[in-house]
Amino acid sequence: MSGKEILDVTLILLEYLVPTLKLFFFTLLFSIPLGMVVALLKMCKFKPVSWLTNIYILIMRGTPLMLQIIAIYYAIPYLKISENLPVFLKNILDGIDIQGDAFMFRAVLTAFVLNYAAYFAEIFRGGIESIPKGQYEASEALGFTKIQTFFHIILPQVIKRIVPASSNEVVILVKDTSLANIVAYAEITLKAKQQMQIYSSLTPLFIAGAFYFVISMVMTVVFTFIEKKLNYYR
Amino acid sequence: MKKSLLKKVFGLSVAAFMMLTSVGCGSGSDDKESSYSAESDDSLQKVLDSGKFILGLDATFKPMGYTDENDEIVGFDIDVAEEVCSRMGVELVKQPINWDTKEQDLNVGKIDCIWNGMSVNPGRAEEMNLSEPYMKNSMVFVVGASSEAKGMEDLKGKTIAVQNGSTAQEILESCDIAGDITVQAMATNVEALQQLDLAIVDAVFLDSVVANYEIQTSGKDYVVLPDGLEEEEYAIGFRKNDQKLRDEVQKILSEMKADGKLGEISTKWFGSDITTVK
Repeated sequence: MSGKEILDVTLILLEYLVPTLKLFFFTLLFSIPLGMVVALLKMCKFKPVSWLTNIYILIMRGTPLMLQIIAIYYAIPYLKISENLPVFLKNILDGIDIQGDAFMFRAVLTAFVLNYAAYFAEIFRGGIESIPKGQYEASEALGFTKIQTFFHIILPQVIKRIVPASSNEVVILVKDTSLANIVAYAEITLKAKQQMQIYSSLTPLFIAGAFYFVISMVMTVVFTFIEKKLNYYR
Repeated sequence: MKKSLLKKVFGLSVAAFMMLTSVGCGSGSDDKESSYSAESDDSLQKVLDSGKFILGLDATFKPMGYTDENDEIVGFDIDVAEEVCSRMGVELVKQPINWDTKEQDLNVGKIDCIWNGMSVNPGRAEEMNLSEPYMKNSMVFVVGASSEAKGMEDLKGKTIAVQNGSTAQEILESCDIAGDITVQAMATNVEALQQLDLAIVDAVFLDSVVANYEIQTSGKDYVVLPDGLEEEEYAIGFRKNDQKLRDEVQKILSEMKADGKLGEISTKWFGSDITTVK
């Protein structure tokens, strides 16, 4: 490929950086809080809740994300054409336009959020459980309520401890967004694959690779900065 | 935050439920579908009412339907479909899909047809309502210019690349010399040809339409072996029930053949009229 062609491909891919980043940031935005909730549910003393959460984590971590994207993406359309649905469900489904881009994005996002929440939940749980029992006893002795203990004493320490593991997940997520091309979500990898055909060359894929590399590098720098900021009381 | 969490939990349970049911209803509903086709077929009316005809394509199949240098979807099939739509008075919507799940996209109504140089095979004829074939295609072996192979027999003991999930793969794996060759299934024909360039494989087995176009445009000195396998044909795929829509498109294609428009488009892409529409 000539320099001009490489520039052309780069410009097209640059346009599709937006959907890639959109998927990336929205996944983080929803999966981190959801992961926190899942972590707390897993540690719930009421066993059935804990078991159910375990099953959820097992499925999400035990099956390929690619498969989950396909399953969630086709679930609603298949429900729509199935017969004998209760009326209220039919009304809800009729309101969904499965041909629109919004539906595709939401379906893909749901799959990513559910998947990543499971991974984040395990990281958060590990962080919470790493806090010695003595601290809970001490704060109880000082008259803190359970909620105060969690938010003012436990959580700040947990955040410090989970940053390195979370940064791992975040960097993996950057590259995992490419899996969305399995349902033809228009992002960098899909476009690179299409451009490959025109030039009969693998170069577009490498250009796409450079994009992921740059985003990952930026995220690494951000996390290094965060880790430094949180490096107090040492 | 709480509300959206509730939604998530609800969404999760719905999703899990759907995963289970979608498997279940997929198998059971087949026989029902065919029984009420004629009387309740509003497929054509639906397209006319919405003013949109949604064409599903892989967008990587050069020269039938692919994304060009400017990120526009173009190709022989697209030009023909544009003309069909303008004669029907509707707008053509080009919807890229994943080729592996094209039947699902068609069945659930995400797209109205699959029109992307799709080869006819028994499975697809069973699964979809196919148009009359509009173009002939044969499967050919492509080798590098320096290759000593002069015919199919010479390929025994060699490694041959093929596009994964294509009809070419099916044909290759059941051909006479299948026992003597190693088949390497690649995601796309481009990657397969790339492997040929790097001498990782000895030959590529693909559609003659693609092979000839590729040789013509890339300027690489590939050689097409003279003995191809199995003539096959391209057709447009519609939903099983959408008889009226299929018939309308078929009628317009015949008109286009008669008034020379189809030949004109074919000449633009292939140098001559190679369509087989009657």
